[in-house]
Amino acid sequence: MVVKPLNRHERILRELQAIVGVQHVSDWPEVLFLYSWDFISAEKPGTCEFVVMPSSVEEVQGIVRLANRERIPVIPWVSGICTAGLCIPREGGIVVDLRRMNRVLEVNEDDLYALVEGGVTWAGLVGYLEEHHPDLMVGVPWAPSGTGVVPYLITTGFGDLGMISGTGGDSINGLEVVLPTGEIVKCGSCMTSQYWIGRWPLPDISGLFVGWQGTTGIVTKAAIKLYPKMPVRYYLLMAETVEKGYPIIQRLAERSWTLGIADIWFNNYPFTKAHTGSRRLKLDEVPLDPDERVKSGIPDFSAGIVVFAPSDELLNVHEKAISRAAIDAGAQLVPYDEVMSSMPVDERAELPLASNKPIHVAPAWLSTPRGGGGIISWVGTFLSHREVPKFYRMGVGVFKKYDKHDLFYGRIMMHGHHVYARHIMVCNKDDPQDLETMRKAFFELDDEIRKNIKSAARYHLSPWASRANLSYVHGPTLVLLKKIKNLLDPNGLMNPGHLLDTL
Amino acid sequence: MKSAELYPKEYLAGRGVTKKSTHRGDRMEPLKRFGGLKDYVDVLYYCIKCGQCRSTYQEKGRMRVCPSGELRAFEAYYLGGKNLLLWGLARGEVQWSDRLTHLLYHCTLCGNCAQQCQVPEIHYYALDWLEAAREEAVKRGVGPMPQQERYGKHTLEEYDPYMEPHRDRWSWLRKEAREELPEKADVVYFVGCTASYRQKSIAAATFSVLKKLEVDFTVLWRNGFDEWCCGSPLQRTGQVDRAFKLAQHNVEAIKKAGASLVVTSCAGCYRMIKEDYKERYGLDYGFEALHITSFLAARVKKEELKNEVRKRVTYHDPCHLGRHMGVYEEPRKLLRAIPGLELVEMRRIKENAWCCGAGGVVMSAFPDLARYASDKRIEEAISVGAELISSACPFCWRNLQEATERSWSSLKTLDVIELLWEAMK
Repeated sequence: MVVKPLNRHERILRELQAIVGVQHVSDWPEVLFLYSWDFISAEKPGTCEFVVMPSSVEEVQGIVRLANRERIPVIPWVSGICTAGLCIPREGGIVVDLRRMNRVLEVNEDDLYALVEGGVTWAGLVGYLEEHHPDLMVGVPWAPSGTGVVPYLITTGFGDLGMISGTGGDSINGLEVVLPTGEIVKCGSCMTSQYWIGRWPLPDISGLFVGWQGTTGIVTKAAIKLYPKMPVRYYLLMAETVEKGYPIIQRLAERSWTLGIADIWFNNYPFTKAHTGSRRLKLDEVPLDPDERVKSGIPDFSAGIVVFAPSDELLNVHEKAISRAAIDAGAQLVPYDEVMSSMPVDERAELPLASNKPIHVAPAWLSTPRGGGGIISWVGTFLSHREVPKFYRMGVGVFKKYDKHDLFYGRIMMHGHHVYARHIMVCNKDDPQDLETMRKAFFELDDEIRKNIKSAARYHLSPWASRANLSYVHGPTLVLLKKIKNLLDPNGLMNPGHLLDTL
Repeated sequence: MKSAELYPKEYLAGRGVTKKSTHRGDRMEPLKRFGGLKDYVDVLYYCIKCGQCRSTYQEKGRMRVCPSGELRAFEAYYLGGKNLLLWGLARGEVQWSDRLTHLLYHCTLCGNCAQQCQVPEIHYYALDWLEAAREEAVKRGVGPMPQQERYGKHTLEEYDPYMEPHRDRWSWLRKEAREELPEKADVVYFVGCTASYRQKSIAAATFSVLKKLEVDFTVLWRNGFDEWCCGSPLQRTGQVDRAFKLAQHNVEAIKKAGASLVVTSCAGCYRMIKEDYKERYGLDYGFEALHITSFLAARVKKEELKNEVRKRVTYHDPCHLGRHMGVYEEPRKLLRAIPGLELVEMRRIKENAWCCGAGGVVMSAFPDLARYASDKRIEEAISVGAELISSACPFCWRNLQEATERSWSSLKTLDVIELLWEAMK
């Protein structure tokens, strides 16, 4: 009997099956189709050869070692709905879907952190806390509950306790990472102890993995900061324009640590309407120009303010102070309860409650009656407070040229030490022309930001944005970044096509 | 007064997720119910596979909801994956194949995914396009799954999907007892295939309860207007033409019995007669349909339940009765009325109830999925300290009973009506 030798594809398939089990590897085109794209951004789809679902760090190591031997790319994946296509396999390879590594391994109530596996989703972590540690909470981004916790941490996402905890990157207490060559490394106090209590005192090497867009390793464990739950109140501050409203929240952010403010986000009118679930109001019926909105009596600027305090008495004091600041500056502060009670009953659940819950309604933003159709993406940047109004006008202007609404959103974090803002656009997944419009508008806006927003530290994860961004990086620093990447990933296999690969 | 007139409107309305009117308000334009795949193409791409279809969001704990996805884990087994595969199919980026058939049929159609999805169009219509996809697969000759095709053929010949001869349908009922029943009656008890051929104790208990309550009822055993399979296993696997023939026959048989009301033991039969016969097939039948638990919840009086049933019982909501048709309270009302019985709830109940794994006719095609789902349900029942798991569907009973045996626990399985009969006999 002649045994036909296996071709490369078959050989790798068998080896992957041996590592994770037959049922946890697929090369079916139908299964791969769902890993070819994020189905939410205007990025173009890619292709991959295999999807594999490990259940342990040892299996991740095995996959990465096999990939190195075969020189086949590896794409780390949790939910695959990054709004900038970070998870798209750009150069084929093996998608490592971490969803089976979805356990909360430990919650340390004394030291206030949760240790999670790399594939934990927000539903998984928040659900676990609700059930087992109801007195603790975690900063949660405005993202669907099926999205990953670790991607949020290592791409510096923005959560609803941002005023206290900063970005996702700031919320990290420690990491365990499988390097592109298969070794395991640890970052933070877990290097030397069983406790994941912080990133010090030894060198903080978590920076080798945060902000690297998944190109330097696969995070298999992460410790994330937790906070005690306290009585909370939500407010909406409304002002006529961004120029009038933004300075008020900037001042509040600076005093946030005395006022119990845990979160401040800001939006323009179309975003607020889209976000608060007012399906009655189709975006098509809203003027594109904010000045036109203001002329017709619509306040264009709104900000959500979330206040925590250990007692109602203290909340009353905070409320009075915040309200006074708003009124003195000519703005209006409305308790969220009042906003909610003015909404139709079946739409109330859609308000962004900032209550440490993943947003289960996020996909509903995207439906066609509201101007979308399954695509939502953005161009954004960290920037100086003083340039926020200019940044807003710039985005509105560019999007208006393309006859598109600008859904403006930003967050002030760490008591005013960070501010981040983004211009969001929704479009129709089924309409190639609409997707092309989105791309063109984004390129143009990104270019405008680079030229005209001096403080911009641009934050967009797609390759075209990374390319443009890296061209501005200080020369010797860029050389160092390249050296680090080459050291960690000598064969260039980890999530290729992103960050430094774009140069 | 006719039996059908005795019941409050909400009992008769059907009010589950399959009812497009449920809380729809002005949030969306209505789509076509029971349409073909092409009717939903412009909705499928709203999905971003955000993962909301994988867990609950209202209750604490974010409990997982999809048996198929939890077992296989790949996105293609969850609703989000299926939505986008069907969109890819419409665009020519995905092709019909045996693999696609496997993915489309590897689902119990329990609807828990759609229950969680907050895109209104997906929330209300996903079950319709999941069935439309199966119908399309059958039309193209790539569906149903081979095992489902075999029983589909048999059902047209012997009128049951259990590969049993039609002559044995009434083996659970003595000939004399059957013949005592009138030819025409106000109520028809539609027994269904599972209670007729497999879980006969449910049929017997139901018969006894109806007798005891002196309900003017009959069963469809006489030649020419005899009971056939309701068609649910065929409809749910895309074998629509076959299911329609069965439906036509059953409607004629019930009409001939002169009933104002048909009551069913089986949640699948109930959904089929109540919703699919009328709204999907457009059969004008002029009678009402109720699940037996709804029928009895409004009839049984406390004094009729004289025997104590000292058991700690948990109730499993059948998907076709609960999520699909909105009947949650009536079976619980009956259980609570039984003296001595303590009703304890599992964590995933009512709208969020975990499927037992018998739905979507996966027991024949994907027995591992059916086993996985029922094992998980039994674990949940044991975890709340139940001595007995009860349901209101012989099909659920069957799958849960097998899982109970596998669990090596002391847990027992009984239908709500069996417990009721224990209390009133």
